[in-house]
Amino acid sequence: MTLNSLARAIRRGELSPREAVQDALERIERDDPAYNSFITVRAEEALAEAEALPEPAGALHGVPLGVKDVIDVAGTRTTAASKVLADNTAAADATVVARLRKAGAVIVGKLNTHEFAWGASTTSQAFGPAHNPWDIERICGGSSGGSGAAVAARLVPGALGTDTAGSVRIPAALCGVTGIRPTTGRVPNRGVIPVSWTYDTVGPLARTAEDCALLLDVIGGPDPHDASTTPAAGDPCLEGIGRGVAGLRIGVVAHLFHDVPIDPRVAAVVEAAIGELGRLGARVERVDASFLRRAEVVQQLVMLPEAAEAHLPWLRTRLADYGADVRARLLAGLLLPASAPITGQRARRALALEARPLFERFDLLASPEMPIVAPRIGEDPVEVAGQSLPYRLSLIPFNSPWSCLGVPTVSVPCGFVDGLPVGLALTGRRLAESTVLSAAHAYQQVTDWHERRPPDPT
Amino acid sequence: MGAESTPLPSLEELRALARAQGVDPTDADLEGVLGFLGIVLPALRELEGETGRDVPPAGMYLPDREAT
Repeated sequence: MTLNSLARAIRRGELSPREAVQDALERIERDDPAYNSFITVRAEEALAEAEALPEPAGALHGVPLGVKDVIDVAGTRTTAASKVLADNTAAADATVVARLRKAGAVIVGKLNTHEFAWGASTTSQAFGPAHNPWDIERICGGSSGGSGAAVAARLVPGALGTDTAGSVRIPAALCGVTGIRPTTGRVPNRGVIPVSWTYDTVGPLARTAEDCALLLDVIGGPDPHDASTTPAAGDPCLEGIGRGVAGLRIGVVAHLFHDVPIDPRVAAVVEAAIGELGRLGARVERVDASFLRRAEVVQQLVMLPEAAEAHLPWLRTRLADYGADVRARLLAGLLLPASAPITGQRARRALALEARPLFERFDLLASPEMPIVAPRIGEDPVEVAGQSLPYRLSLIPFNSPWSCLGVPTVSVPCGFVDGLPVGLALTGRRLAESTVLSAAHAYQQVTDWHERRPPDPT
Repeated sequence: MGAESTPLPSLEELRALARAQGVDPTDADLEGVLGFLGIVLPALRELEGETGRDVPPAGMYLPDREAT
């Protein structure tokens, strides 16, 4: 049952919030040993909260959800999948959690992540790797890998992740679910452990675009007490979800199909999906946007020092407790020249100015979300179209441009290669999440990739 | 990222910079940083040349007048 269907069923009295939560907890207990998607399960608390939900029912009344373990839930530990925070208990709810609860959602647990949400594998040394439900020998992407796995495995109908450089979109693509990185600043970050102030955002993952729309409507919107939010709210997403793609101008980002390493089978699957959007009435045209490749270094120059600054107290006292990959990146951020983040932010503004005509000409940009399907756990470097590349470098060209521009981008399941999911990325103008999600919804009305189920874990 | 030759700091220079900030990395840590800097510093140099001197830094999120 999708999140919207479940919410409707609860509102109609077909099942109680307690029954919905109990069902999720039973699935987690039965199946999650195979996936390790949850770090903490709030079984007793969630059942008690389900029984105590106030009336009238909110939009998510009784719906069980998971949140990535960098997002605070009061009274529950926030570990960031790191030894550094293994015993850290949150004093208060993050704003997004407070908004979910106000809408009636019940948080059943905290989801596995790459350590401190900084990496794309979700292979925590402290809490173990999360496993891809389509093949448990493979990674589920990251950093919101537990969120992607839990939704794909039907443990919960929706989850929150965070995205700095692809961390919602990558697991959505590799696990075959829908995930949106909203416009930077649309969703409050208060109560979320930062990676990089400039790029961080919370984003939902669910099976369908319609489900993501509902979650985004609940968690998004300005917070006058939170400097990380934009003053503009953006259009509601669920309300216009059915408006289709007829007449929309879609630019196909040509260099991401040809000029960077990509498995040609993945590229072909994504091309076919874009063809489907054309058959639905969108005007599809290839566009040269290769200037966006500058985003790859721009993002690193800003993100690395910002992360190092955020971690500085722990770098001083807990350096040895970090996993090797995150420690190396944090130290690199600490030791970059002082000019690096300033040059990066100047180049980011230049990039945005150069991209403006692109977003005037097109309503949406279409591209592959990832160049490959999920690699095996521990497989790094990966082979992409005959080249051996560090896994992390292979995905940067597909993700950094949209993070740098701060624009909304969704990954939509659009097919399979070797039995593993492939994601189509649809990217829109700032605060145009309603366009992005309605296009994804239109695609999901004529395809069934998002309905495919991974094999039974037993 | 760019590939032109750019002088890199020594391990001892990096260690001194880290210690000045209260952080005490191992040699292995610093060798990893050097490898990373070998890629990033040339790219930074390239970007400095490409970005007009009159472009001010972007903020945490881009202001509306530059909204895409």
